[in-house]
Amino acid sequence: MTPEELRETVARQFGRSLHIRTLDTGSCAVCEQEIRLLAAPHYDLHRLGFFFTPAPRHADLLLVTGPMIRAFAAAASKTYEAMPGPKVVVATGACALGGVYPSDPFTHGTVDAVLPVDVWIPGCPPSPLALLQGLGVAVGRLAERVRDLPFTAPDHPERTRGDS
Amino acid sequence: MTLWFLRGLRRGVVTTRYPARPDGSAEHLPTPPAFHPQALTRHVADDLVALCPSGALRRDDDTLLYDVGKCTACGRCAAEAPDVATPSGEFELAATDRSVLIKRIPLQGGSR
Repeated sequence: MTPEELRETVARQFGRSLHIRTLDTGSCAVCEQEIRLLAAPHYDLHRLGFFFTPAPRHADLLLVTGPMIRAFAAAASKTYEAMPGPKVVVATGACALGGVYPSDPFTHGTVDAVLPVDVWIPGCPPSPLALLQGLGVAVGRLAERVRDLPFTAPDHPERTRGDS
Repeated sequence: MTLWFLRGLRRGVVTTRYPARPDGSAEHLPTPPAFHPQALTRHVADDLVALCPSGALRRDDDTLLYDVGKCTACGRCAAEAPDVATPSGEFELAATDRSVLIKRIPLQGGSR
């Protein structure tokens, strides 16, 4: 199943109700703080049909944080295998995307070294709003915006000031 | 709460749209920087590459390779060179493909 087909299936089957299993593969727990905030009244994850579940067997989406320490890689694979399909893996935070730790004898450095990642959410930590957008992208309810962002500022501030 | 419950019963939908309205707290978030290509020289780019603690920046000849996924929005580049890097204000950065997070920024500030 290609990622596109998977996302289509997930959008069709889980578009309005999806259970999330979080997996900490060695993060500093700030990503977990932000994930926990999703259930707070201000963000209220449940109004969007997302729920947290304590067991991977009940989960449709694996929200992975941390740089995937090697000691946890086997457990992460087992967690992924225990989930029923179709399933989505979301790598959360700069650690999971390879930004903070290099690949060394202790960590893999990225989550996609062990698990097939479908959605990447950058940020250190990603704010709850960024996480909500990531979950929306994962189930196909929100558009992926970063593809079209150039991350170049159009005008030089000094030059703009001088011209005007 | 009661209205929401009754509306849910009437429409048969219990979830809500997202986003219902822009979130006021969004402007206070630390965001990854955007770069000014006209102010970027090789010299400045190399300084920023050496400065970046998470290895999000890399220079390839006259292109700055900027991996938004690795950026921790620490703001060191914006503090070191405020006329080159400014906070982009973008935080909804989820990507379905890792490669779209790697941005190529041309160095247009001359060859100094």
